[in-house]
Amino acid sequence: MKKTRMKIFIISAVLFFCTNSFGQKLALDVREHTLDNGIKLLMLEKHDVPIVSLRIVYKVGSVNEHPGITGASHLFEHMMFKGTEIFGTKDYDSEKPLLTKEDELISGITAEKSKGNETDSKKLEKLQEELEEVWKAQKELIVKDEMWSIYLKNGATGLNASTGNDATYYYCNLPSNRLELWAFMESDRMKNLVLREFYSERDVVMEERRMRTENSPFGLLIEQLNAATFTAHPYSWPVIGWMSDIKNMKKAAVAEYFEQYYSPNNAVIVVVGDINPDEVVDLIEKYFGDIERQPAPPEVTTVEPEQIGERRVYVEYDANPVLSIAYHKPAIGHPDQYVFDVIEAILSTGRTSRLYKSLIEEKRIAVMAHAYGGASKYADTFIFFSSPRHPHTAEEVEEAIYEELEKLKTTPVTDHELQKIKNQLEAGFVRSLESASGLASEISSYEAIAGWRYINTLVERTVAVTPEDIMRVANKYFKKTNRTVAILVNNKKKGKEATHENKGS
Amino acid sequence: MKTKEVNFSLSHLFILILMLLSFSVGQAKTVFAYDEHSGQAIEPVMTAPQSEGAKIVSAFEYEPIEFTPPKPERVVLDNGMILYLLEDHELPLFKITAHFRTGAIYEPEEKAGLASLVGSVMRRGGTKSRTPEQMNEELEFIAASVETGISRESGSASLSTMKKDIDKGLEVFADVLMNPAFPEDMIRKEKDEILEDIRRENDTPRKIIFREFRKIMYEADHPYSRKIIGYKDTVENITRDDMIAFHKRYFCPNNVIMGISGDFDTKEILEKLNNVFADWEKTVIDFPEVPAVEKKFQRSINYIYKDVNQASVVFGHIAINRLNKDYFPIKIMNFILGGGSFTSRIPSKVRSDEGLAYSAYSGFHTPRDLGFFFASCQTKSESTVKAINFALDEVRKIREEYVGDDELELAKDTYINQFIFKFTSSASIVGQMVGIEYEGLPLDYLDTYVENIEVITKEDIARVAKEYLHPDDIKLLVIGDMEQFDKPLSEFGEVNTIELKSEQE
Repeated sequence: MKKTRMKIFIISAVLFFCTNSFGQKLALDVREHTLDNGIKLLMLEKHDVPIVSLRIVYKVGSVNEHPGITGASHLFEHMMFKGTEIFGTKDYDSEKPLLTKEDELISGITAEKSKGNETDSKKLEKLQEELEEVWKAQKELIVKDEMWSIYLKNGATGLNASTGNDATYYYCNLPSNRLELWAFMESDRMKNLVLREFYSERDVVMEERRMRTENSPFGLLIEQLNAATFTAHPYSWPVIGWMSDIKNMKKAAVAEYFEQYYSPNNAVIVVVGDINPDEVVDLIEKYFGDIERQPAPPEVTTVEPEQIGERRVYVEYDANPVLSIAYHKPAIGHPDQYVFDVIEAILSTGRTSRLYKSLIEEKRIAVMAHAYGGASKYADTFIFFSSPRHPHTAEEVEEAIYEELEKLKTTPVTDHELQKIKNQLEAGFVRSLESASGLASEISSYEAIAGWRYINTLVERTVAVTPEDIMRVANKYFKKTNRTVAILVNNKKKGKEATHENKGS
Repeated sequence: MKTKEVNFSLSHLFILILMLLSFSVGQAKTVFAYDEHSGQAIEPVMTAPQSEGAKIVSAFEYEPIEFTPPKPERVVLDNGMILYLLEDHELPLFKITAHFRTGAIYEPEEKAGLASLVGSVMRRGGTKSRTPEQMNEELEFIAASVETGISRESGSASLSTMKKDIDKGLEVFADVLMNPAFPEDMIRKEKDEILEDIRRENDTPRKIIFREFRKIMYEADHPYSRKIIGYKDTVENITRDDMIAFHKRYFCPNNVIMGISGDFDTKEILEKLNNVFADWEKTVIDFPEVPAVEKKFQRSINYIYKDVNQASVVFGHIAINRLNKDYFPIKIMNFILGGGSFTSRIPSKVRSDEGLAYSAYSGFHTPRDLGFFFASCQTKSESTVKAINFALDEVRKIREEYVGDDELELAKDTYINQFIFKFTSSASIVGQMVGIEYEGLPLDYLDTYVENIEVITKEDIARVAKEYLHPDDIKLLVIGDMEQFDKPLSEFGEVNTIELKSEQE
C-alpha cells in the first residue's frame, strides 16, 4: 500500500514539474546503455530529418594536467586527427620504424642542445639533417588528413573537436545512414591512434596560442585573471597551456596521457537524431565492445583554499581597457549553483537585465557588460566582463558592478523578475529541442561534469530559487575577500598622450 | 485580395537525395552518371583508397534514406510583401526572418554609418506608442525577441516567440518595422557606443585586417571601401531627420521578403499579417545609384606596423559577384585551394605540413557587385614571407596543373552529401528561400544545386582558376613587426606602409 501511494506521488510530481504553459515536457527521454568496458552510450531519438549528431566525450581536460605538461589535453585533441595504424598511412609497417627513429633523433637533439656551451654544433647539424631525412621519408607514407576527408566525403558537417577545463569533445553530424562509418572510425581512433606529425602540430598549437592569447587583449586578460584567481587548483592554467610547456611537450608524455585518459571507461558516446536505439546499441557494441577497460584515471584532489583577501592584477597591453572580476563559487551539484544561474540571468540576460540597464542605458559608462556563472566539475568562479566607454574608467565600472551586487544582497528580487526568468528558462528549453546538434552538445557537456540527468531537473530546480536564496548567496559569495580583479590597461596610449601633452606645453 | 503564387518546388529533390545517400560514394556516382537530370553524363571516377582503413570503409553499404524536404509556400500579399511560409507543428514555436533591400551602399559618403545606425535605433529606440523600456519588458517577459539590423547590402528583421504569444509578437514586430520613434537620447547613446567601438578598432589585428584590405581593394569613393559603422566625423554628421528619411525610404512592404516558420496555420497567419500590416503602404523606391566596381588588377604590397609576435596576412584581388555564371565551379575550385578546411591545399601546406599557422584559408567574397578573392593566414613573425610564398605557390599551381581526381571527388562529394543539412530546421529552410530570392538567384536554386555541383569537371576547375585567379596581380597586406620577419616584404615589390590613424583623440 505504502509503495503504491509513493508511486502515485512520484508520478504526479513528475507531471507537475515537467509540463508548463506550452504543454511541452521539459525533460529529455535519453536512453542509456553502458558497455562492459565502461563506455556510456546516451541516445535520444529525433526523427524529423534523417541526420544524426554524434559526440564522443573523454572526461579529460586541462584540469587533469600538471605544470610541465599544461596544454597536453588540447595538443592531444589535435593529434586525434592525424590517423591510426590503418588510416592516414599507406603502410604502417614501413612507417613505424621511422616514427621510432624520429623519437631517437629528437631526444638526441634535445640532449645535445641542453649541453649549452658544450654543444657539439657539427653533431647537432648532423642529427638535424638526419631528422629532415626521416621526415621526408615519412611524408611519402602519410595520407594527409585522411579521416577528416572521409568524414567530409560522407557529408559530415560540424566536424570539429574542443578541449575544455573538464572534458574533451569530438563533434560530427552525418546523414543518419552513415552511423556505422562513424563507429568504425571512432573506435579505431580509440584503439590504434598513431602520433604522427607530432612536431609540426606542436608548432600549429603555438601559432594558435599566439593568435588566441598573446595577440588578443581579451585572451591575455582571462589568462591572467585565472592565474591570479586560482593559487592551487589546476583551473589556474590556460586550456591551451603555457607557451614553454607546449614548446617542450614530449611525444612520450602525450602518449602516456592517451593511455591514461582515452580509455573506454572514461568515454561517453552521445547519439541524437533519426536512429533506432536498439540498432545503435548493437553497432556500438560491435565496434567499441572489444576495447579493454583501463585502470580508472587519477582523481583531481587539489582543492583551492579559501581566498582570504582581494587580489588585483593589471595587464598592460596596447589596447583599450577591459575589466574582469571573478568570485569563487562551488562546483556543479552544490545547490547554490542554481541560485547563480538565476543571478546570471537577472544581471546579464537581455535588454532588461540589471547590468545592461544600469551600466549601458542609465549610467552610460560601458559598451559591454556580462556576467557568467555556468557550472563546472570543480569549484570555479562567477565572472564579470566589461568594456568601459571612454573617458569612463575600468574602476568606475567596477564600482557600478559592486553597487548592483549590493542591491542583490539587500533588496529581494521581485516576483515579476523571477517570473520573467522562469518564462525564459522554459522557452529556452523548448527552443533547445529544435536542434539535434545542440541537444547532443548539451547532453555531452552535462554528462561530462555531472551526469546528463542534471538537464531534466535543471528548469525545475532553477525556477524554485527564491528571493531569499538570492540574497543569501549574494551575501555569502560576493564579498571583497573572495574576489580577484584583473584590468587591462593601455600601456602605449599613456606614452602617446604624454608626448602630446609635452608638445602642447 | 492577396495574390497567391506557388512557384517553388522541391518535387524531384526527393529522388536525388534518395539516390545520393543510398550507396557508398562510388556507387552513387555510377547511378548519377546516367541520371537524366544531370544533362550530361560524366564518367565516374573512383580513386583508389590509399590506406587500409579507407579500403574497408569504401566497401561499407548504407541503407537508403527517404526524405522529402518540406516545401515552403510562396505568397505575395496585395501590399507587395513576399512571404515564404512553412508550417512545422513539432514544437510550439514561431519565427519570422525578413530581408529588406537596403544597406550601407545607399548612404552618402559624408553620412557613413547612417544605415547601421538606423538598423540599431529602430529597435533600441522603441516606437511611437511603446517606450524602449516598455517594449523590452513586454518582449522579454514572454521570452520573445524582435531584432533589426542593416548591413552593407541588406537590412534584416526577426521575430522569435512561443506559439501562444504569436499575436503579441506580431504586433510588436509590425510596430518596430512601421513606427520606430528614433528618440534623440537613444540616437546619442548609440552614437557614443559606436564612437567607443571606433576607439577600439585597432586593438587586435583581427579587427584591422579586413577593414584595411577593403580600402586597398576598392576605390576610395566606392561604398565597398567604407566601414559600415562609419567614422567619427560622419557619425556625428547624421541627424534624426536623416534617419527618419532613410527608414521611410526602405522600410515598406514592397521591399521585403519574409520567411515564416513554426507552429501556425497558414490561412490564419495570413489574416493576422494582413491585419497588423494593414496601414503599411506600398511606395515607389528610388534606389540611389551605386557606382560599378572597376575590374582592375594592380599589384600592391602593403604593410601596417603593430607590436605583435605574429603576422596577419591577407592577399587577393577583385573577383566575382554572387550571380556569376561560374559560381559553382569557383566554389569547388576554392574548396580544393583553401576553402575546404584541413584537406585543402593552402591549409594542408601552410598548417599541416609546415606547422606555420593555426588559421590558413582562402575564400571568395561574393556581394552584389564584384567581390574579391583572398587568402589569409596568421603566422609567427619569423615565418611571414615563407608562409606567404607557400600560399601564393598554391594559387599559381592550381592555375597551371589539373587538380587530382581524388581532390575533385572529395570536394564534390562533400557538397552533395552535406546537402541534406540545408533542411535541418523549418526556420533554415524558409531562411534559405528568403536569401535565394533576395540575392536574385533562380527560385529553383535548391532543385538544381546538386546537379550544378555534379557536372563540374577538372577542365572546368582549370578554366575558372585561370580566369579568376591572378597571383601576379595580388594586393598583399601584412600586419605585424617587419623587423622580426624572415625577410622584408620588399621581396614582393615596393612596400606601401600604412599608418593606422587613430580616430580616438
